[in-house]
This record gives sequence, C-alpha cells and structure tokens, in this order.
Amino acid sequence: MKLLTRINRFYLIFLLLLSPIMIAVDYYLIRYFVFTEVNEILEHESERIKYHLQSTGELPYSRYIYEITPIDKAIPLIPRFRDTMIFDAYSNKSIPYRKHEFIVEAGDQKMKVTLKHVLMEVRKLIFWLFISTALIFILMTIGMFSINHKLSRWAWQPFYRNLSKLKNYDINQKNPVHLDTSDISEFEALNQVITSLMNQVEKDFRNLKEFNENISHEMQTPLAIIRNKMVLLLENQSLGEKELRWVQAAYQEVNKLSKIGKSLTLISRIENQEFTRLDSVDIRATIDNIISNMEEILQFKNLQLTVKLDPVKVKCDPILANILFTNLIKNAIQHNQEGGYIWMRLDEEQFEIKNTGEVLKTETAHLFNRFQRGNTTTDTLGLGLAINQKICELYGFQLDYRHEEGEHKFSLLFDS
Amino acid sequence: MKILVIEDNVELLHDIKGFLEREGNVCEIAQDYETAYMKVGIFPYDILVVDITLPDGNGLDIIKETKKENIDVGIIIISAKNALEDKIEGLDIGADDYLTKPFYLPELNARINALYRRKVYRGCKEIIFNEIKIKPERHEVFVNGHPLSLTKKEFDILHFFVANKNRLLTKEAIAEHLWGDHIEMVDSFKFIYTHLANLRKKIAGLGGKDYIKSIYRVGYKFTDRE
Repeated sequence: MKLLTRINRFYLIFLLLLSPIMIAVDYYLIRYFVFTEVNEILEHESERIKYHLQSTGELPYSRYIYEITPIDKAIPLIPRFRDTMIFDAYSNKSIPYRKHEFIVEAGDQKMKVTLKHVLMEVRKLIFWLFISTALIFILMTIGMFSINHKLSRWAWQPFYRNLSKLKNYDINQKNPVHLDTSDISEFEALNQVITSLMNQVEKDFRNLKEFNENISHEMQTPLAIIRNKMVLLLENQSLGEKELRWVQAAYQEVNKLSKIGKSLTLISRIENQEFTRLDSVDIRATIDNIISNMEEILQFKNLQLTVKLDPVKVKCDPILANILFTNLIKNAIQHNQEGGYIWMRLDEEQFEIKNTGEVLKTETAHLFNRFQRGNTTTDTLGLGLAINQKICELYGFQLDYRHEEGEHKFSLLFDS
Repeated sequence: MKILVIEDNVELLHDIKGFLEREGNVCEIAQDYETAYMKVGIFPYDILVVDITLPDGNGLDIIKETKKENIDVGIIIISAKNALEDKIEGLDIGADDYLTKPFYLPELNARINALYRRKVYRGCKEIIFNEIKIKPERHEVFVNGHPLSLTKKEFDILHFFVANKNRLLTKEAIAEHLWGDHIEMVDSFKFIYTHLANLRKKIAGLGGKDYIKSIYRVGYKFTDRE
C-alpha cells in the first residue's frame, strides 16, 4: 500500500469517528444559544409589559402574548420557562414553542401572562447539522486528497525519481547511480545513506570479483605445472608400482581441483552477469548437436532415445545455452540404468526431459545446491545443476525436478 | 616447425618448451612483453603461443603488432582468465586458437600441429604413421591403403594419438579432448576404453598393428617402440 493511501485512510477513519461527536456538540451548543436567546427575548418582553402596565395601567400590545388568565391572589408564581407544542392550523402541524409565564398586577387584580416564541424544529436542526457536517467532511476529504496528491507530485518527486534510478541500479554497470538532491532533510538523509551503502556494496563486489578472478587465475598456472610434472613422473620408467599409484592418485585430485576451479569460476561469472551476449539461440540445433556428440555414450549404455523437438529460438548466450542443455542431457545419461530410456520434448514454452533411473538419495530441494551429488557412488563434482540453476536465474527460466514411477523428470520453462 | 612461446611463468614455459622440443620442434621462449616483441620482430616463426597476462604488457598487443606488420604466423592464445571477452577479442584481432589454463600439453601440441597444417599446407597434408595414413580435414583414415571407417569419436582419438605419438596421454587429457572441459562426464574413462577397443579391432581388421599401449592405470601411449 502506498504511504499516501495509508495516511489518507487514517485521516478518513479519524474524520468518520469525529463527525458524530461534532454533530452532537454542535446540536447542544446551538440549542443552548437558541434557548438563551429566546429566553432573553421573552424576559425582555415581560419587563416591557410590566413596565407599561405600571405606568399606564393597561396591558400593552405584544405579538408574543399567548394567553392572559386572571388568577387567584393566593397562588404565588415564580416566573418560569416551559417548552410546548402548539398546533398551527395554517400549516396543519404542531410547532415547538418556548413559553414564559409570569404574574402581573393591575390594581388589585392579578393576572398570569404567558408569552410564546417559536423554536426551531429539533429534527430540522439535526438534519441541517448533519448536512453541513457531511458537507464539511466531504470538502475536507477532497481537499486533503488533492493536497496530498499535489504534495506527492511535488514534494515526493525527487523521492520517486531516485527510486526509479535505484530500480535500474545494476552493480555490473560501470557508471554509478547519481541520486537527485532534495531540500527535504529526510530524503537527503536517505540519499546519503543509500549512496554510502552503494559505495560499500560496490567496493565489496569489486573486491570479491577481484578475489575470484585472482584465485582462478593464480590457481590455474600452478595446477598446470603440477599436472605437467606429474605426467613426467608417470612417464618415468624408474618409478615402482607403489610410487606410480601415489602419483596417479595425486594426478587425479589435481585434475579434480582444476575442474572445481573452472566450474566455480563459471558460476561466479554467471552471477556477476559477465555473459552479456543475447543472441537468438536455436535451441533445437543446440540439442541436436549435443545428442550427436553423445551418440556413442547412448549406444554404450544401450539407452533408447525418443526426441521430439520443435524449432525454438530463445534469447540467451550460446555458450551458456550449450552448458545448460549439455548438463541436463548428461544427467539423464548418467543417472540412468542399462537399457533404460530418455525422452525429450521441446516446444515454445518449455523443454522437458525424462529418463529412467533410481530414486535419488538427495532431497529435491537440495538438488540444485553446490557439491550436492544425487548419487554418492559416482565420482562427479555435483556442480552441474548448481551451474544450471545460475543460468536459469540469469535468464528468468524456471527449472523443476520431479521423480515419479521410476522416472526422473526435469522441466525447463523458458518464460516463467 | 619453429615456435615462440610467450609465457611469464618460467616453470610452465619450460614444460611447454620441453614438450614441444621432444616433438622435434625448434622452440624459443620469451618471458616478457619486451623480449617477445623483439623476437617476433626479428625472427620468423611458424607458430606463436601467447599468454595474455604478461608482467610488462598485454599479449593481445603482440598479436596486434604481428597483424600490423603483416607477419605471417599462426597464433594460439593461452590464458588463465577464461574470460569470454579476451577470447572473442583475441580471435577478432587475428589469433587462430584459444586454450584455457590449465591445459594438457598434448592438447596444445595437437592444436599447434593442426594450425601448422592449416597454415603451411592449406590442410592438404596427410599424417602418416607407419601403415596408418590420416587426412585430417576430410576425416579419412587409411590402413595399408584401405579406407578405415571410424565413428567421429574414434577418429578424434586416433588423430589425437598420432599427433602425440610416443607420449603418455592420460585418460583425463583424452576425455577433455573428446568432450571439452566444461563437461563433467561420468564413465568417460569407460567410454574411452570402449572406443579404444573398437579402434584396435578396426585397425587390426585391415592388417594394422596394435600401437595403443595401456600405461599403468593412468592412460595410453601410441607408439611403435617397445
């Protein structure tokens, strides 16, 4: 969820909670002021009437007078206010009135005067209050959203610009990202943190890359020398059987070391995205080529091959494509049984390869890890699938493995 | 043939020199860019073996120099970097082949021979070993004048053997020659064994001698010596 949406949502909830309270407070306040005002009018009128009566001895005309009743002398009456409904014949409905009763004396006769003043209808009051509050609420919401929208376009602009720059950030790109400066201190602080982080990451990345390159480079020449010397030793007639066996064992390990070095270098080169070529690689031709290269091995293991390949072109590096499919096909040959079969199918969406073979001892989840061998008896390095995984990550392919009914199945989705 | 090996590691340099000289080549060495640059300018060579990383320069510059000066020489790059850009650039500026360290010396030897044949004989040269005659570019083999029908891998093995006759070829070197170095093939030694068995049978079928000697458990030697 966007930050702005979230903030707006909180404002909205706050306003929704606030509005009934606002309506109630408004209602009572307005009522209070209206009543006070009406009371004042009526009291003022009563004063006028009393004064007029005293000075002239007659009741003056007043449009507020509701009724005048002569009363018994004995009953004392304090002036009081009352609310009442009076039926109005013209509009055919009851209308709320404020009444004010008080006693006046004209000579020796006492009279109870009742004054009235129309009141606003409470329902109407609440209705209009609600309408006005709702209006305020809507206007505030619209105002808030448009202000925030404007703000996000204006104040957040450097933030979004930098964000899109960072999205396109690629550590392999030689040119560094320059973030736009901002006069908003939070953004500026963020920029500085990100810039220093990027510098650190770049430095570490460069160091690591250099280390990798150095180690693979510096390791290979000594390995080549060791290997050459061992061949000389093996060719030497004077060594005994036992010594020859030692040299031979060491020779094999040196070869393994060299292969590990090459494979790990390959993995880190894929990770470093050093394979930048994007050719339209003819996958069918690649697979055909690999199969013909392994024809004799297939015959040797007496494997039956069923192949159905559509002409498919995929954008990738031809060298990596060759490694990827070679590893898959090679696996299908290796983890197969005498007289088994291999089934391959290639179409626009995916490449599937199935082969007979025993259940692997490794869990599927670990299968793509480095140095993970499906079968402990074979003498492989266990780097093939790790390399494949890296290639798939690079191009966004998806490589899945399943084992069912004595069949290994790898499927490679080109567009996942 | 006359070969100049440019490589900064003395030990490796002498390994290469020793191996190539035993094949009957004249092999000169250069340990740095200066020496190499001077030697290439003065003496005619058939083949240059160039390491890209030199203490005082880049091997690629030597290649550029030979091309600029129109020196007709076959060039093989040897590099530990295995960096694709180097390989592409190297081949672009006129190198003929590229080997990644660590390579097997018989592989280098086979590549040098193949390059030399392409350069000097325009590929028409036949390789003859006693009764066996190989026409590499046409993938044809004759034993006592009769054509020998071989599979591609059998041909590759025989060609590799003859190019490195009298040398110990380890199984690893043969496997890498046949399947390349990125492929980690189980049972490859068994396949080699099977291919060799078939090869022996086929050669014997045309009256050829068995020159393939198994050396202990490490590999094979193609030789007519006892």
